[in-house]
Amino acid sequence: MLRITLYYVPYSTTASFLKIKQTEIETLPEYRYIFYAHVYTSIFVLLFGFLQFFNNHSKTWRLIHRFSGYQYAFLLLAFAAPSGLYMGFYANGGLWSKVSFTILSLLWWLSTFIAMQKIKKREFASHRNWMIRSYSLCLSAITLRIWKVVLVYFFQMPPMDNYQIIAWLGWIPNLLIAELIIYNQSKIKT
Amino acid sequence: MKQLLLAACLLTLMISCKKEDEMKNKAPLAYVEVPKESHKELYGLWTGTLQPEYDSYVRNEDDTTDTGYEDGPKKITIKINRIHNDSIFGQSIVGGNQRPLKGILTKMGANLFVTLDEPGKAKDDGRFELSFTNDTLHGSWIIYKPNKKIIPKKKLKLVQKQFVYNPHFMLSKELDDAIVEWDTPLQRQDTVTDEDGEEHIYLEDIYRVASDEIFHINASTDTLTEESLKNLRKLDLEIVRNCVFARHGYSFKKSSLRYFFEFSDWYVPVSNNVDKDLTVLEKQNIALLKRMEEYATDHYDTFGR
Repeated sequence: MLRITLYYVPYSTTASFLKIKQTEIETLPEYRYIFYAHVYTSIFVLLFGFLQFFNNHSKTWRLIHRFSGYQYAFLLLAFAAPSGLYMGFYANGGLWSKVSFTILSLLWWLSTFIAMQKIKKREFASHRNWMIRSYSLCLSAITLRIWKVVLVYFFQMPPMDNYQIIAWLGWIPNLLIAELIIYNQSKIKT
Repeated sequence: MKQLLLAACLLTLMISCKKEDEMKNKAPLAYVEVPKESHKELYGLWTGTLQPEYDSYVRNEDDTTDTGYEDGPKKITIKINRIHNDSIFGQSIVGGNQRPLKGILTKMGANLFVTLDEPGKAKDDGRFELSFTNDTLHGSWIIYKPNKKIIPKKKLKLVQKQFVYNPHFMLSKELDDAIVEWDTPLQRQDTVTDEDGEEHIYLEDIYRVASDEIFHINASTDTLTEESLKNLRKLDLEIVRNCVFARHGYSFKKSSLRYFFEFSDWYVPVSNNVDKDLTVLEKQNIALLKRMEEYATDHYDTFGR
């Protein structure tokens, strides 16, 4: 993931994915900045989110959890998800992938926002559940790209047909797994 | 000072005058005989297929570098530029390889015979022996120094053809069943466990198949957009781009590309460099197609978007 972020360092308007996004680059002056906001913040969002699952309730971990939690929420709510929403409107692969990415970014933003509200009210269990949902959607960044490799390996489909499928396959199974985890945990507790 | 300058000017004037005089005296002293041009009806482009004669080749089975049997038929163009008395000058264009030709024209009764020699510096140079009957040039080509990669004798039958650039020419639909790129398969390792539980590893060849879009997208007449090209695989993009070069008569070096265009009647390879003939629109489309190809090469099957 870091490696594909580094494709975009140094800043360039023709790097990698942007090679097939020149129409947007040329016609929408804001696209390049929003794109780079997404790329440069998302890698940290993934990293800070990952740290949240190692809380052994010691004092230092509580501090780390709180610090990286704020980073996660701030970068996500202010940059990564809104930029994702914007890019969703111009996504490759036509209407269906646009719909998918738009829903994904809205759900991502909402689940994170609700999780923040819950912790402010000190409702730990539901904070945890909403954060699991939020991070499962966050991980679509990785699962989508894995699905792409898998699909291309088995069926050499035209690139955009592929893209329409992974647009949905990237996050729906993740969310289902998240719900399964939440369901299992609630069963253990009661 | 002024006088000095004036003197210098005068001096240079005088010198230049003198030179001109000398040249005037030297120029047309001898009367050069202008050779008579003849058989102008043979001038121009002659195209056909260069068909290897496999009988003329003995394969050394023990030698793995002996790959002559892979040498297949190729489209050939012979361009006849000038005929002076019995001397004939032209060019041969085969597989992106352009060679000057020089030869002799002989007349026996009503028949014309032509021998044309390639320079002999390249290892695949040879001699054409052709005769002209019923509006066709037919005969054979024989290599000077036989080598392991080329069938030493080939047959050819050429018809005279006009090269016309027409931006509307599209790839022949005759290709329909065969839009497969056979030359460079992707190789993938696969493991199969048989009934006895033994594992066998074998290499599977995966051939690239082009999509139907290549018959509809014209990079010589339409302004292409990213949107219209995004769903194309790399092979499709390559074909659409190279179709532009084919329309200008480019002679492809890569056999995989040549293969696609040799199915089309309109394709006449006339040059190994057509860059200066490209229109502004074509150049613009080629740049876009190249960019899309780069993306397809780096990202189609790798982790990433």
